[in-house]
Amino acid sequence: MLKVENLITRFGSVVALDGVSLTAEESKITTVIGANGAGKSTLLRTISGLEHPAAGSITWQGQSIVGLHPEDIVRMGVAHVPEGHSVISELSVEENIAMGSLFRRRKFKDDVANALDEMYQLFPRLQERRKQLAGTLSGGERQMLAISRALVSRPQLLLLDEPSLGLAPLVVEQIIDSVNILCRSTGLTVLLVEQNANTALGVADHGVLLSLGKVVADRPASELKADANLRAAYLGY
Amino acid sequence: MNTFLAALFSGTSRGAIYALVALGLVIVWRGAGIVNFAQMGQAMFSTYIASTLITQGYSYWVGFIVAIIAGALLGALLDILVMRPLSNKKKSELLSSDSMRAAVPVIASLGILGVLQALAGIIWAAEERGFPAPAKQEGFTVAGNVMPFTSFDVFVISLVLFTLVVTSLFFRKTGIGLAMRATALNQEVAKLSGIRTNRTRTLSWAISGAASSLAGLLITPTSNLSPNTLDLVLIVGFTAAVVGGLDSPVGAVLGGLILGMVISFVTFFDTPEDVFISILIVLLLVLILRPRGILGRKDSRRV
Repeated sequence: MLKVENLITRFGSVVALDGVSLTAEESKITTVIGANGAGKSTLLRTISGLEHPAAGSITWQGQSIVGLHPEDIVRMGVAHVPEGHSVISELSVEENIAMGSLFRRRKFKDDVANALDEMYQLFPRLQERRKQLAGTLSGGERQMLAISRALVSRPQLLLLDEPSLGLAPLVVEQIIDSVNILCRSTGLTVLLVEQNANTALGVADHGVLLSLGKVVADRPASELKADANLRAAYLGY
Repeated sequence: MNTFLAALFSGTSRGAIYALVALGLVIVWRGAGIVNFAQMGQAMFSTYIASTLITQGYSYWVGFIVAIIAGALLGALLDILVMRPLSNKKKSELLSSDSMRAAVPVIASLGILGVLQALAGIIWAAEERGFPAPAKQEGFTVAGNVMPFTSFDVFVISLVLFTLVVTSLFFRKTGIGLAMRATALNQEVAKLSGIRTNRTRTLSWAISGAASSLAGLLITPTSNLSPNTLDLVLIVGFTAAVVGGLDSPVGAVLGGLILGMVISFVTFFDTPEDVFISILIVLLLVLILRPRGILGRKDSRRV
């Protein structure tokens, strides 16, 4: 279980997270929704160690992970797929995935190849394009690649930042479905950040609505989805 | 015909050394994303260490190996003491923009070059001294003519080829090589993938330091050793790296050979005064026709 309490992250004088508290339950999909600038990406970046919080606590499976380096947080089973299909364009598809399992080579030598194969089973299109440079992939394929890079490290918690960004609805559906199936079948805990609230609430168990760095609602996803007032006030539709 | 052969031989051996310099630059570029102008300062420094050992009676090979290890250590040290603190954006207000973040390490490397040259002048005095070669520097005789191609040239060329093959395989086939490339290309994604980017960057500096020391050891037998002798070599080596494509080890060697040939043919068939203008022309031609260098990867980003 991931527990975030009173988290404050600042960029100079701008307060991006203003006392955020939430939990991501084991083997559940928790989604964080909210408009642009609500602090959703900053939340994930602070959890994965890319940003340092000014105050507050982040506890993962009973251990505090505040102040640790991203490299060490990944080793504790927390994988982050940042916003914008973050793959390395100049490396091949194969290299992008392999990159995510480099740190496991020694300790889990036998499992590394299996993990790679599983990624290709999950997204067969990546196998067809194994030798291609990641920069030549379509947006959807790049998102699949970014997710594979994270999953190949065999995380227990996946931090997924706006997988729908810039993708066609059909592709979004396919990617969200894959994540959903993975979560249900392997017990992966997912913290999904989305601007596309309908899609996210459709698969999530729990929803957290963020506005200007503060949590304004924290409820089961179905309830949040049904609340027309909240939607109108914070998401604008 | 004989002049032609002579120019060809001389071009190959000069080119091999420029290739090695370019290779060292490519390694730091690929591993840390920095153009390191201090490189030949590092090479000069470790060659002085070898020179000191050899004049104190140690064998050439002891000096050779100690210099390469010293080069690797110096490279690692510069990264840890200078480059790493500079890249820490939390501590430095200077690094708030991307362009500054790219420029500051390069300027710092120029500063390091100055410091190393001054230090060498203080420690070893500024006048030139000779540096021995491990093989004969008398030309082979072909059909009664002495060619400008020696056993030492053979030694240089084989070492350069060996270094090229090893570094290419290392970058392409090993996990550490992949980690180094990933670190240079996108530090954030590399960190999120669990790569210890500080360590891989230091390793790039160490390997590049070793390669440049090798270049220093191979150049000084023909050019003598002083705190500034390698400046010109760096300029040609840097041009070679740009001509070949800064991110390609094979391109670096190709660029080195091309420039070696240009310099040699201009010297033999024209006058040595035209060497620099012809290097400039080659550089301009390549930058116009292939802005990323001959073997540089095209920008693969789509849309």
